[in-house]
Amino acid sequence: MIYDQPRFLPGGDRYMLIEFGDEMNLELNFRGQDLAGVIAEEKTKGVLETAPCFASTLIHYDPEQISFADLKKEMGRLIESLPPTDDIEMPSRLFSFPTVYLDPWTKECVDDYIAKIAKKTPDPEYIAELNGLEDVNQLVRVHSGTEYWVASLGFWPGLPFTMPLDPRCRLVAPKYNPPRTWTPKGTVGMGGMSTAIYPEHLPGGYQVFGRTPVPIWDTERRFPVFEDSICMFRPGDRIRFVPCSVEEFEYIEAKVADGTYQYNLVEYQKFSVAQYKDWVAGIDETQRF
Amino acid sequence: MGGEAMFEVIKAGLETAVQDYPGRIGYWNQGFPPSGPMDSWSFRLANVLVGNEPGEAALECQFVGPELRFHRDTVVAVTGGDMQPRLDGEPIELWTSVAVKKGQTLTLSYARTGARGYIAIAGGIRTEPWLGSRSTFHKAGVGGFEGGALKEGQQVPLGDAQGTPGLRVKDAARPTIVTDKRWLVEVTAGPNDDWLDEAGRKLFLETDWKLSPKSDRTGYRLDGPGDRITFADKAINKRPEHGSIPSNIIDQGYPNGAVNLAGETPIILVKDGPSMGGFINPYTVPTVGFWKLGQARPGEVLRLTEISVDEAQKQAVEMTRICSGESLESA
Repeated sequence: MIYDQPRFLPGGDRYMLIEFGDEMNLELNFRGQDLAGVIAEEKTKGVLETAPCFASTLIHYDPEQISFADLKKEMGRLIESLPPTDDIEMPSRLFSFPTVYLDPWTKECVDDYIAKIAKKTPDPEYIAELNGLEDVNQLVRVHSGTEYWVASLGFWPGLPFTMPLDPRCRLVAPKYNPPRTWTPKGTVGMGGMSTAIYPEHLPGGYQVFGRTPVPIWDTERRFPVFEDSICMFRPGDRIRFVPCSVEEFEYIEAKVADGTYQYNLVEYQKFSVAQYKDWVAGIDETQRF
Repeated sequence: MGGEAMFEVIKAGLETAVQDYPGRIGYWNQGFPPSGPMDSWSFRLANVLVGNEPGEAALECQFVGPELRFHRDTVVAVTGGDMQPRLDGEPIELWTSVAVKKGQTLTLSYARTGARGYIAIAGGIRTEPWLGSRSTFHKAGVGGFEGGALKEGQQVPLGDAQGTPGLRVKDAARPTIVTDKRWLVEVTAGPNDDWLDEAGRKLFLETDWKLSPKSDRTGYRLDGPGDRITFADKAINKRPEHGSIPSNIIDQGYPNGAVNLAGETPIILVKDGPSMGGFINPYTVPTVGFWKLGQARPGEVLRLTEISVDEAQKQAVEMTRICSGESLESA
């Protein structure tokens, strides 16, 4: 649900988490991003940085410049001033990511976890079962059947938290318990309803079932997509995972290594919230691919 | 910069790295952690002793300190856990500014108390800032000196400043590094404390958590009865996009210092920790408790004690006051 009034929750002496609701939808993500945007524009006194996500915005503030109570008032005022999301029409880049689903690398990672840390059903089978899919092949069809909306970056520099735009492709999964100690670089996985790409060899909590050879952050900025930032994605980008073979993965990996890889993105499209909502309204969500 | 304004790393120690305070701020929305010193109390006072701004770049040493040869005259101070510092083999006092002559060698040994020692040098360390900070973010290989912990043979550039030797930090202004292996760490409730029920909150605060050896600058894992934490109804009956385990929540921004409940394992998110994720944070360690994490060793007990946000903010102001020239006296 979307809360009538946002909740202002403290985190230690320097953080405030503002929750707009407890579901995943575009409207809440726009609230979070728009609030962060207006704070940056107005240079709100005492706010050092923000971290907007699916349904909330975290504020890092300096309590010697603004008290929790005053920050709450100020944030309330800014939230009131945010434009209605239905009016939003924004440029949105679309990235295609060649991805090996049910790949040998995440399988090795899951096997290692099962052997050393905790017993569990392998991730692809687990997600398929949990979501009532026929088998792991349908998982691949459903997961690769939609564009994903980049809601925010976080966890690790450049890691995109995304949500599926096509309601027929919504899948859910719990996060690992306990978390994994390692995940291969480029792993594609999901937790809750969110899909992410791991930018590096990292610990992690998402269920994993695919891998892409395309780098999404680069401290050396070897490719033009990193011109503005060493983190490639921006909130409002879209991603499509394009199933590919291990051979293609290795071919692309070599192209990346020698610097000749061409990132596949298009920049001519605008995303209209109103049109998106109209389209979703006519979709039968129970139909899977 | 003159070729002599530097020190040379003779022995690197276990993990000695350049940090500044408060670190890399402003990039939380892209996932960059602040990095910076784990014990900002000892760190800031080391700088103040040598006449630097409290946040100037200095060295953090973990468990076993380095051996450094100075290629210029300067003033240094060693604070934090007792790594038994020596200058050309002669013991020097902790919490005291000391003159160093060109060619002399500063050697730190293992930490007899605490876990981290700090070395500040007059004029500070002058490595190239990365995204606005000199702090080292080890796992990403960025910041600090060549992106990581110091290595034998490196020559680390120094700023140019005169320090005053013979100053010491008043006893009352020093952090108390415990010797009985038990730390009382302040926490504030939230942001997600209402996901636990009363018994769950009680268990959190009444448990002797053991700091796991599987801890590092990204997270401090707490060993204990994490599987017995109990939850409020909202953690159990919730929308599917949170994830089905009680501690699962729709991914959200994480405060640095949050006590994150990853499945059934509490992990305190520390200086190189993640900015976001999908687990609840029932408690957060504020500034006044955070420095203790920098001095706690694996196997030691962390007991969490709740204070109000107001109290945490008051104590942080007090800490800033302490980490200033008014805490110094002549040795």
